[in-house]
Amino acid sequence: MSEHEELESSVAAWLLGAVEADDVEIIHAHIEGCAICRETASRLGPIVGALSLNADDVEPPARLRERILTAAAASRGTATVPAGAPSRIKDRRPPPRPKAVSTSPRGMMPMYAAAAAVVLALVVGLVAGDVIGRGAPASPPVARSSLVGHQGLAGAKASVINLRSDGVALVDFSGLPQLQSGKVYEVWLITAAGRADPAGVFVPDSNGSKVVLIATPLAGYTEMAITAEAGPAGTLAPTQQPELYGNLA
Amino acid sequence: MGSEAPEGLADTDLVAQLAAGSQEALAELYDRYGRLAYSVALRVLGDPGRAEDAVQEAFLRIWSHAASFDVRRGSLRTWLLTAVRNRSIDYLRGRGAHERQELELQPALAEVAPRSDPWREVSVSLERSAVREAMSNLPVEQRQAVELAYFSGYSQREIADMTSVPLSTVKGRMRLALEKLNSYLLGKGLVDV
Repeated sequence: MSEHEELESSVAAWLLGAVEADDVEIIHAHIEGCAICRETASRLGPIVGALSLNADDVEPPARLRERILTAAAASRGTATVPAGAPSRIKDRRPPPRPKAVSTSPRGMMPMYAAAAAVVLALVVGLVAGDVIGRGAPASPPVARSSLVGHQGLAGAKASVINLRSDGVALVDFSGLPQLQSGKVYEVWLITAAGRADPAGVFVPDSNGSKVVLIATPLAGYTEMAITAEAGPAGTLAPTQQPELYGNLA
Repeated sequence: MGSEAPEGLADTDLVAQLAAGSQEALAELYDRYGRLAYSVALRVLGDPGRAEDAVQEAFLRIWSHAASFDVRRGSLRTWLLTAVRNRSIDYLRGRGAHERQELELQPALAEVAPRSDPWREVSVSLERSAVREAMSNLPVEQRQAVELAYFSGYSQREIADMTSVPLSTVKGRMRLALEKLNSYLLGKGLVDV
């Protein structure tokens, strides 16, 4: 078998992404320079593109659209709120105060929690470039964690998607009870030492769901917790024990 | 930031708005192809959570690379779905995200390119039916070779080992499968000639 025949026999596999990594460039280069193989690739390429239509038709979760628009807003560095996007961190607060007494988030929280909620405009400055499309990061670019509800929030849960390389995280809440008038849910980031830093406030939709952008890196924090606080800006320190919380990956 | 409602825009115009940073265009892209994208990711990964992650990464990739889109290399839908498939395979096989052939696609299936959403859905539905029928008409071993490669991310050598056949047989099955699919879809008018 000639070299051309050998490489031509792998064109279909190359189109299907089934060529071993070491051979991808070799076959690609051959296709570029070989009219016969280029014609084959050009003719069969559209078929590979159509294979995705062989997947079962499944409706994506409604929150996915919001997730993508929110992450895009953060990555592109625009302060414009996309249509249907969640409320982001809204309040401007003073710099963090000295950290307070350390306690477990399940116990009484410190009264002098740092106040470092970051407005989106600040996020823009932190998040330069794209969420993806950078060089390969040393650690997985996305880490997922779960928050579980207890007591009054037993039916609530949240999924935390930490976009590590961009220093932001998306939190997908569901099952949250409606708030009393004038109240907001406030997100707290908790260090191993027990310091709780406010990370944003939000009001869920009528279904008890919300996707919230946490515009600060989660590095250095071990847990996330949610409490109901006075709106519209929340508080500098939690006024109650959290009933929705979880460890951060 | 574009303010014009992008609904009804041709893909090339939609890409231009994406490249300009229009979030309305990104929302429109999702409304057009989000369902397809999620279906592909879920088929590959079988896990709704990871499928969402893969779809998000793919959309953000298109969002951040829109300026490099070249309609001569394929349709926007094909570009997006290829990105979704590749991200999903990366998740499945534990590979880091890497550049593939996403920017070097061949011309896509001849999409009817209707302007209204109902017609777009009809078009996709017709294409889906045709592709499924074409796949179901393939001999089992050819269909298996294509599906193991495309939806499971196995290499031709891995497929040869798994199915206990020579590598040359796997190559032949893949080639025959694509040729038959091409012939069938050509007959349906779904491939440009």
